[in-house]
Amino acid sequence: MQMAATQKESSDQNFDYMFKLLIIGNSSVGKTSFLFRYADDSFTSAFVSTVGIDFKVKTVYKNDKRIKLQIWDTAGQERYRTITTAYYRGAMGFILMYDITNEESFSCVQDWSTQIKTYSWDNAQVILAGNKCDMEEERVVSVDNGRMLAEQLGFDFFETSAKDNINVKQTFERLVDLICDKMSDSLETDPAVTTGTPNARLTDNPPPLQQPNCGC
Amino acid sequence: MGAMESKYSTEDINKIMATWWKTIEKKTQKPTMTIPNMHFTVPTLWGRKKSDPPAPEWPTVFSTIWRSPYTPNSFVPHFNDCVGRAAARTQEYLQFVDPEDKFIPSPTSLNEIFLMTYISQSSRLQMTNSFNCTPMTSQQRILLGADWVWAVLDRPTKNPCIQIAVQILHLPERCGERASGVSPEVCTESMQMAKMESGNRNEAERMVDFCMSIGTDCYALFLLFGRKGDPGNIYGVLSNNFGAAVGKTKINRALIENFFRGSRYLHTPTGMLQAIITKRAGDPLTLLIKFT
Repeated sequence: MQMAATQKESSDQNFDYMFKLLIIGNSSVGKTSFLFRYADDSFTSAFVSTVGIDFKVKTVYKNDKRIKLQIWDTAGQERYRTITTAYYRGAMGFILMYDITNEESFSCVQDWSTQIKTYSWDNAQVILAGNKCDMEEERVVSVDNGRMLAEQLGFDFFETSAKDNINVKQTFERLVDLICDKMSDSLETDPAVTTGTPNARLTDNPPPLQQPNCGC
Repeated sequence: MGAMESKYSTEDINKIMATWWKTIEKKTQKPTMTIPNMHFTVPTLWGRKKSDPPAPEWPTVFSTIWRSPYTPNSFVPHFNDCVGRAAARTQEYLQFVDPEDKFIPSPTSLNEIFLMTYISQSSRLQMTNSFNCTPMTSQQRILLGADWVWAVLDRPTKNPCIQIAVQILHLPERCGERASGVSPEVCTESMQMAKMESGNRNEAERMVDFCMSIGTDCYALFLLFGRKGDPGNIYGVLSNNFGAAVGKTKINRALIENFFRGSRYLHTPTGMLQAIITKRAGDPLTLLIKFT
């Protein structure tokens, strides 16, 4: 099984666009679980704190285009802040996550938003996600408060559950849509972009990988 | 009521009793306990029966009380147990020589043997609430340079307060590949991307950068599975001050091996952990350790 999965991943090297996305937020809000649910459709309730940074890759299709999502899972603890913020650069989208059962994680959303503004580029798209919405009995942050804060910050908003698979796919799909819309806007306002690589204007990064050779 | 009469005479009874007594005396007393100088015939709270399978040393009720995980730094002897066991087992394979000189255990296998043994023992000793071990994913091994990260956990929050990022170094003749599991046949797209992200730095430099990004309470430990002239033992170089070498010299195996030149004192794993715990915050610390 392991070998089959590896071969599948190794062979999956054709794509039209590559989007770099980051999941950020306080420790233990469920960032890693959210990513595992989306990328592997798996969930475990055991909490393992992420060390530094990690990522997974998932390919999605939109308008007959293959979009490769490089999704970075960041550690929420303060001690990793230097290393995690180094990866903000070049990110096209963020999922800013809090835990609806943890008031402090919600209070920190404003600080995380400032981090995005400080270390990322202006056109980065952000979705605010209130995770663990399956734990209604322990809820301390109302849906209205979440939505209101998202509006204030200019972000889209979802309440999600990695455990019960609620709004996980939708959150990523919405983020991809927002990035594509932003790309289209950029192409319209700056036609010169069309002569370049598809995401040249959006990422400030090297052009997307095309048929890269395994250099490991 | 009349008196009961035996069919044996008094003389016969005495003979029978004497024979029976001799039989009892000849019976060997089988000790069933493992407590030194004490023998019990039934399994008790103090330990396992000697007839039980000898392999795993399960914690006994009293051993877990004596080494309560709730006392500060109680994980130090546990750590010594775990790492000692892992090093000893790895050493067995490290010293393996195929008579036909065809089979050599891969560096990745040796890494996994060490880590599996450590993890098994640490979960048996229930030390993971105060001192945990996080193996890195294949992407993290490339991005951060570490094979796993040990962490002393803060009691109420369980957040790490001290960390030791570990990278295993193998003798060059043992491997063409670094033992991060990055062999061409398992090189996934994710790992390719991770390599691209990590730029031109080698794995040792990546781990040092990672530790520096956290601060002086994050140590880099290079675990040498064999050294030049001593391929069968496991050594370590631990420091929170490798940053002093960044920009001045290349951080690589040669630099790490150089630490052993002229140095006489080698710490034990316990000594290493105690030195880390008792060190003043912010002070630099560099140690050489022998694990086997």
